[in-house]
Amino acid sequence: MEINAVINGEKVKVTCHPNKRLIDFLREDMGIISVKEGCGEGECGACTVLLDGKAVTSCTILTGQIDGCEIMTVEGLDKIGELEPITESFVRNGAVQCGYCTPGMVISTKALLNANPNPTEEEIKIAIEGNLCRCTGYNKIENAIKDLKVKES
Amino acid sequence: MKTEFQYIGKRVERQDTADKVRGKTKYVGDMTRADMLYGKLLTSDKAHAKVTIDKTKAMMIKGVVAVFTNEDVPQTPYNSNQWFPGAATAEDEYVLHKIAKHVGDRIALVVGETPEAAEKGLNELVVFYDELPVVIGFEEAKKNETVIFGTSNLAFEKSLACGEISEGFDRADIIIEDSGSTPKVHHSAIENHSCLAEIDPFGNLVVWSPCQVVFQVQHIVAKALGIPYDKTRVIKTTIGGSFGGKGIPILEPVCAFAAIKLNRPVQIVMERKDSVAGTRSRNATIQKIRTGITKEGRIVAREIVSEFDGGAYLTNAAAVAMAFGKKAFRLYKIKDQKYTGRTYFTNTVPGGACRGYGSPQLHAVSEININNAAKAVGMDPVQFRILNAVDPQEFILGAKDDIGMPGIGNARIKDCLIQGSEAFDWENKKITVSSKNTNRFAYGIGVAAGVHGNGYHGGFPDYTNVDIQVMPDNRIMVKMGIHDLGCGTVLTMQQIAAEALSINPKSINVPQADTFTSPYDSAGTQASRVTFVNGGALKEAADLLKEKMITSYAKLFNCSVDAISMIDGTIGHEEGKKISYGELAILSEAKLETTLKIYLEYKSKGNPAVYAVSFAEVKVDKYTGLVEVIDLLAVQDAGQVINMTLAEGQVEGGAHMSVGMALSEEIKYDKQGNLKTENFSKYHLINAPSMPKVRTLFIQDGEPLGPYGAKSIGELAAVTPGPAVMNAINDALGTNISDYPATPERIIEALSRMRS
Ligand code: FES
Ligand code: FES
Repeated sequence: MEINAVINGEKVKVTCHPNKRLIDFLREDMGIISVKEGCGEGECGACTVLLDGKAVTSCTILTGQIDGCEIMTVEGLDKIGELEPITESFVRNGAVQCGYCTPGMVISTKALLNANPNPTEEEIKIAIEGNLCRCTGYNKIENAIKDLKVKES
Repeated sequence: MKTEFQYIGKRVERQDTADKVRGKTKYVGDMTRADMLYGKLLTSDKAHAKVTIDKTKAMMIKGVVAVFTNEDVPQTPYNSNQWFPGAATAEDEYVLHKIAKHVGDRIALVVGETPEAAEKGLNELVVFYDELPVVIGFEEAKKNETVIFGTSNLAFEKSLACGEISEGFDRADIIIEDSGSTPKVHHSAIENHSCLAEIDPFGNLVVWSPCQVVFQVQHIVAKALGIPYDKTRVIKTTIGGSFGGKGIPILEPVCAFAAIKLNRPVQIVMERKDSVAGTRSRNATIQKIRTGITKEGRIVAREIVSEFDGGAYLTNAAAVAMAFGKKAFRLYKIKDQKYTGRTYFTNTVPGGACRGYGSPQLHAVSEININNAAKAVGMDPVQFRILNAVDPQEFILGAKDDIGMPGIGNARIKDCLIQGSEAFDWENKKITVSSKNTNRFAYGIGVAAGVHGNGYHGGFPDYTNVDIQVMPDNRIMVKMGIHDLGCGTVLTMQQIAAEALSINPKSINVPQADTFTSPYDSAGTQASRVTFVNGGALKEAADLLKEKMITSYAKLFNCSVDAISMIDGTIGHEEGKKISYGELAILSEAKLETTLKIYLEYKSKGNPAVYAVSFAEVKVDKYTGLVEVIDLLAVQDAGQVINMTLAEGQVEGGAHMSVGMALSEEIKYDKQGNLKTENFSKYHLINAPSMPKVRTLFIQDGEPLGPYGAKSIGELAAVTPGPAVMNAINDALGTNISDYPATPERIIEALSRMRS
């Protein structure tokens, strides 16, 4: 089937089997390697992408479902200059160890901050509840997200 | 007086983080090669069976290039756990297996032009399982009705002792007995196991692996395939977590075999269910502990018997039982003590290294027993531990512990207990905690101590080689066999060399292990040896390099060595010229015919103990059995922290694993050996909302043999939080739960048992 979508800000028109998992389409057909597979069942969040601004696990979505939609990954955020503050905060807070969960965490962070620029600690935890990290114990990731809050004057 | 450091202890930022955030970092699964093939492993559906595979239909699938089974691969047995060629062990594994010994055992490899082709080929394999009787659990194993390997399912047995326990127990006023168990734990690195193998233009095999010991992978691959070691190049790639799970080669031999056979690059990436079922796990244990104490609360005797579920292959049957046992003699002063460890074969996932290697299991049950001992004499559990804990050992090179192992060194366990209980507000919480109780919720506090090591010295060869060189552009190149497992090992090494040479850590390149370019390292990144042993080696090499730089400068500028100083990448004499290290390197080559470079073979000189104490407060829902950890303080005797951010990261991440073992993580099988927890929907990792904030406290009193006083942190971090949580649960409920994990079902069951 022909898929028309906006991926990382660019209009794409490609032919793809509609039943191909979105994660495979993004990695294999689009060369977007930040989208990682950890479980293939929607349980780890390593494959999280933004679908029309909402964080979804791309291993549980089929490519046919993104026709007419907009997909954003960390590569896209980087391109439009929206990644810099997140990168800076993750580096400063030591929020990354092996880094395998990181792109997914960043996408969940972005989805949270888009909807809620001033999240509470509780809201931060809930925003990343679907993203498993085996290395950090989440503490430093939460600190990094906290630092990104719009500072109230 | 404390030395002021320029880089040690500082929160230097990691240089690999930004690329990881941007998704630019390539893991093995992200690597591609022209002409690359994709391998998919067929793993066994049955726990014990003779396997016959009909490949005909699979081979007819378009894009399937080859199907390999046991009949196609060399019949040389190996033990994947053997990390150096001289390690004595029996060998019971093959590249692919004809008799599947556990669900998830590797029985065939399908290689395709695309992942889809390989997948289709896999689905078209016709597999006949001629089922054999299955051995699940200790009882079945002990019956020996079905023997998995050799003549008995008892794979290993050994005792360790000091003094004479019968005499010790005679002196005891009270004997406290406990039994308990710990489950098989899945490492749960978020990156699944993966590997890429190819042949380079010179005909060498190149294996790209997210591994912990490149020289082990080289050894196992060369041996299993009967190819020259010197033509087997293993390169450690970026790793998406390991925790011991990727320490033992699983995919490398079969991936290398396929690449050689087909003369094309082959990549294999496992799926989660195979990572759980077909790699390695923390060994499950059942334990019995007897502790004899006096009325005054002194421990006079202890006997520990622990049995280990070794799984289907020999792997670490001996190593885990010994690692567990040795630590029992290094935490408390116990004159008469005996330990017996036994490891059994079962038709389940084989055991392997898992963060803490035996320590998490030992302290899981023994620290509950210690609490019960304190209670029996009416003592506070912190005070009871302080009374019995070991004291720092005077620094003598070659010192030994009670069972002849290397001395425990500057053991600061008492500081951990004393400073930790203050920081946690233990005394106050002890009085007030139960006042929060309601009909439904019970609150409690718990403490647990633990000990771990610093490498293999005293047990196995523990040495490494370092090649360090000043480059013409004022940068430093360090070649050594290190593997960053995500913890920041590279940065740790950069900071150590930076401190010794006074140069920005960013100017130091420490490439990761590669058997063709890294000098030999005897044991890899495991056994908590890297900071202490590799870091110790690097410091010594850097100090020697500094000496060479100073003498070179003195020769070149004809001055005495005394007033030459090296600061921030510049070397100079009080009255003379200041030049960069790079300029000195250029001059040394041009005028002195020498390279500013040191090659050092460094043998570890000790294996001091490291200590940790955790304090936890929990809130238990008596209706649902759910536990919330509301406060957690982890105290570690770290000698000297090299990088505070990295150290905290280790302790916080270790707590995640340890609290998980206490509350929810468990690999489960049914009686037929079918895996019941093959994915994260059934194997429960703690997620962000359930993870407590981890408060950290480091005791930094310096370890004489460690680089700048440093000793290990990361593995020990996964030892004490779980038992502290368990003790807190028992404190809240008045129960004595000692089977891990304390799931809601177990808690409800313990409560109803108490009521009846
Ligand atoms: S790979 Fe998609 S959620 Fe784990
Ligand atoms: S940093 Fe390794 S899984 Fe999160």
